[in-house]
Amino acid sequence: MKKALSVLLIALLSISSAFAGGSRESSSDGTTLTWAVWDYATTPYYDALINAYEAAHPDVDVEVIDLGSADYQTALQIQLSGGGSDFDVVAVKDIPGYNNLVKAGLLVDLSPLAAADGIDTSIYGGIVEQVSVGDSFYELPFRSDFWVLFYNKDLFDAAGVPYPDNDMTFEEYDALARSLTSGSGSSKVYGAHYHTWRSAIQLFGILDGQHQITDGGDYSYLAPYYEMALSQQRDGICQDYATLKTSNIHYTGVFYNESVAMMNMGSWFIASLIAANQSGQSDAQNWGIVKYPHAEGVEPGTTLGTITALAIPAGTEQQDAAWDFVKFVCGVEGAEVLAGTGNFPAVTNDEINNIIASMEGFPQDQNSKDALSVSQLYLEMPLHDKSAEIEVVLNEYHDQIMTENMSIADGLAEMGRRVDEVLAN
Amino acid sequence: MNNKKENIPAFTADGLPIDRSIKIVKTKAAKRAEIKLNLIAYSFLAPNFIGFAVFTLVPIVFAFALAFLNWNGNTAMTWAGLDNFRYIFSNEMFLASLRNTFVYTIGTVPLTLVVSLFLAIVLNQKLKGRNFFRTVSFFPYVGSLVAITAVWNMLFNPSMGPINEMLRALGVENPPRWIADNDWAMFTIVLFSIWKYMGYYMVIYLAGLQGINTELYEASSIDGVNTWQKFWYITLPQLKNTTFFILIMLTIQCFKVYDIVYMLAGAGSGALSEATTVLVYEIYNSAFRYWRLGVASAEALVLFAIVLAVTIIQFRLDKE
Amino acid sequence: MMIESTGQKILRVLLYVFLVIMAAVMLLPFLWMLSASLKQDRDVFTFPIQWIPENPEWSNYSRIWTQIPLLTYIFNTFKLTIIVTLLQLFTSSFAAYAFSKLRFKLRNTLFLGYIATIAVPWQAYMVPQFMMLRGMGLNNTHLAIIILQAFSAFGVFMMKQFYEGVPTELCEAARIDGMTEYGIYAKIMLPLAKPALSTLTIFTFVNTWNDFLGPYIYLTRDSLKTIQLGLRSFIGQYSSEYGLIMAGSVVTMIPVLVVFLSLQKYFVEGVAASGLKG
Repeated sequence: MKKALSVLLIALLSISSAFAGGSRESSSDGTTLTWAVWDYATTPYYDALINAYEAAHPDVDVEVIDLGSADYQTALQIQLSGGGSDFDVVAVKDIPGYNNLVKAGLLVDLSPLAAADGIDTSIYGGIVEQVSVGDSFYELPFRSDFWVLFYNKDLFDAAGVPYPDNDMTFEEYDALARSLTSGSGSSKVYGAHYHTWRSAIQLFGILDGQHQITDGGDYSYLAPYYEMALSQQRDGICQDYATLKTSNIHYTGVFYNESVAMMNMGSWFIASLIAANQSGQSDAQNWGIVKYPHAEGVEPGTTLGTITALAIPAGTEQQDAAWDFVKFVCGVEGAEVLAGTGNFPAVTNDEINNIIASMEGFPQDQNSKDALSVSQLYLEMPLHDKSAEIEVVLNEYHDQIMTENMSIADGLAEMGRRVDEVLAN
Repeated sequence: MNNKKENIPAFTADGLPIDRSIKIVKTKAAKRAEIKLNLIAYSFLAPNFIGFAVFTLVPIVFAFALAFLNWNGNTAMTWAGLDNFRYIFSNEMFLASLRNTFVYTIGTVPLTLVVSLFLAIVLNQKLKGRNFFRTVSFFPYVGSLVAITAVWNMLFNPSMGPINEMLRALGVENPPRWIADNDWAMFTIVLFSIWKYMGYYMVIYLAGLQGINTELYEASSIDGVNTWQKFWYITLPQLKNTTFFILIMLTIQCFKVYDIVYMLAGAGSGALSEATTVLVYEIYNSAFRYWRLGVASAEALVLFAIVLAVTIIQFRLDKE
Repeated sequence: MMIESTGQKILRVLLYVFLVIMAAVMLLPFLWMLSASLKQDRDVFTFPIQWIPENPEWSNYSRIWTQIPLLTYIFNTFKLTIIVTLLQLFTSSFAAYAFSKLRFKLRNTLFLGYIATIAVPWQAYMVPQFMMLRGMGLNNTHLAIIILQAFSAFGVFMMKQFYEGVPTELCEAARIDGMTEYGIYAKIMLPLAKPALSTLTIFTFVNTWNDFLGPYIYLTRDSLKTIQLGLRSFIGQYSSEYGLIMAGSVVTMIPVLVVFLSLQKYFVEGVAASGLKG
């Protein structure tokens, strides 16, 4: 028994050392760029981008390292800490994570590089300005998603309710959700659906442009939206937050199952929905999108945005090659590749929207096409020195209000007090 | 050799080798023997201790030093003095996490101890299907956390979960909302952790039970001692070392609780509220969400001090 | 006499009723897991719970092998787990002997120090430790995980507590017979500690097998990753493949249960006691 075990052990060791030796193939005397990403296996555009780049630069190999989605920013910053870096290019997942990396001096300032190459940052529609610290920016966005309202046309037809359009106030939206709710048990149809993220409800409140979510102080301007959501929840118009949260119920599943008529969600869902419809995973074959509902007096097409960006770690030894890759992915060429996979690049123009709108499986009605043009985009989390701390507080009280552990007024008051505390420290 | 060892007075242990010349011959020999014994002992420790010291102790010492510094993991460290401690003791989330961790520990330790001992004793009997029952109770410890917390949250779902449907069928009008309710959340977590860990500690108790000399029981049977007395006067005292080990490990494990709370209560939003936050969650946030490694270290030092104090108390009680 | 045996019978029946209920409580989540592993992702979390899937999605069990390099991950996990467990068994049982049966300078201080470090959460020293190991060139090597897992204070503490139960007279007698301390460790202590060694084997095996954070920090290359990393990779940013997670969890639980079952035989009454007689 013991002998067998030791023989097995030695065998394992020798095989694995052979593995380790062969794991990293070097390209023929060219450059190898290492790119840190998440969800590599399920995200088709990484390979599309790499293939396009490698075709244009045959001497460069791009190697991908997948750090996983859930704790991506944590893993990334640990890998970069102390200034040592195995990576030449890194994807940046969110603003708090970006802020931490910048504060720790782990990223290369891209603004002088962009200036030297004469890159016009206005093609990003103001995003670069929103991620600038002073005059410097340390990431360039390559993907930019915005929130729209998805709806299931069959469920509208069944309820005999006309489809929504691109100019809808919150009152109209609420009434619509109520008129679409029907049935019970497993055949129940909910008029609306809010995923458990705070953005899904909380950030309705910032679309009038009067407030920054990071300001602290008085958050009572969020109250009307929490009231709408909670009253829908009590009346069974949308699913109960606590149920969604504790049961890991995912928004994709309920939409695919045709149990919700309307759902506010990011534009990333378009590509997933088309794919799920084609593979038969989804029953919601007949769907459409319209612009986000808006408050009285706010321009339709005002919505939330979230960006995915590329940055260059300060520790890389191949800064020039890395910059060239970043320019490609974040530039117009990368944008076309990205749009070809049904995803929204950060470079926005009509042509790109047309590529997506003409994808097979994208709804054919004019409203859905028009919904792709955004008039005003607010980041889900604006750049702020304390954005990570603030985000934790915002999440916590969103949860407390939605589980009805706290009244809306109390929850928002506490939220303001705690954010003020964070700001004061 | 054995006799020599016993002759060594304790105080010679403090002597240094250079003093050898002034000592009388007998002590010299004794000292040699003692040094040899020490070396033998250290040779036993070395394989574990060297690895442990280099790869765990050194980073821990470094981390403790960080408690008095400001550091983000890359740029230069700056002196913080006691600022990090002042900050955490004025931070209400940290204080809430201290409170919750204590509540959790007090709720979990005694119950787990009793339940796992009971299970071990039952499953140490000659029963049909003993292996099956043993294996089954070890299941929760083995299962992947992602999967089992997902199931628990399904079963305890406030509105549609089977547990509450059963309670409603039994006539409970407003069954608890479990993890979604601030007042019930900690209780739910305690329940889960007893369920998950009782099989684990049962295994340790089972191993401990094998060390009890069966002659003790045989002798007592002749004296007509009943089952309860056997348990109280033989089993329990004989399991003293095991119980002590379990008590300490369980306490430490409870103070360090993190992933089960995060997976149960933080599902969805990934944020723990004042009602459910625990020490290690705050440490995780300070370190990897805010990258204030000095603050994280200060928090860890507080945790360390508490556990050390509790452990020393337990050691004292054990000696008595 | 008659009455007592009836009473005992009732007791026995009650005991079985209790055990069956307990087994049900323990197993229910795993039955759910099994049933979820045969569902499409969108049906995993629907109410009312469907215990027997209508159209079992057997493809989940084939997709886990193709969507991620699961075979490589299993191989890596086996390799790490076996090496760590063997090292852990050796170093812990060896060091514990000194703490339990030998007197030496600083014994109590060292021992308390050992235990105290268990109390320091890993999150607090992860960054310095990572920088140190990376400096040694160990990032993205299996050696990093082996080093982190193999020298735990837990094993030393546990083995020490079990050795304490072995009468010191036994060692004394062996010393008088001229046996060296190494001999006593190998020939007397180890055979007596079989239940404890089995326990430590099981725990180390399970811990290393299920470890997520260690491999997550140190193993970023696909060829090096472990099962738990593979399972987590089914949880994506915008969608999670729960059917696959459950299928993967079911498959990867099997080796652990095999280890548990095969070590069961050492949990038999009186192993240590019979050793004492001989």
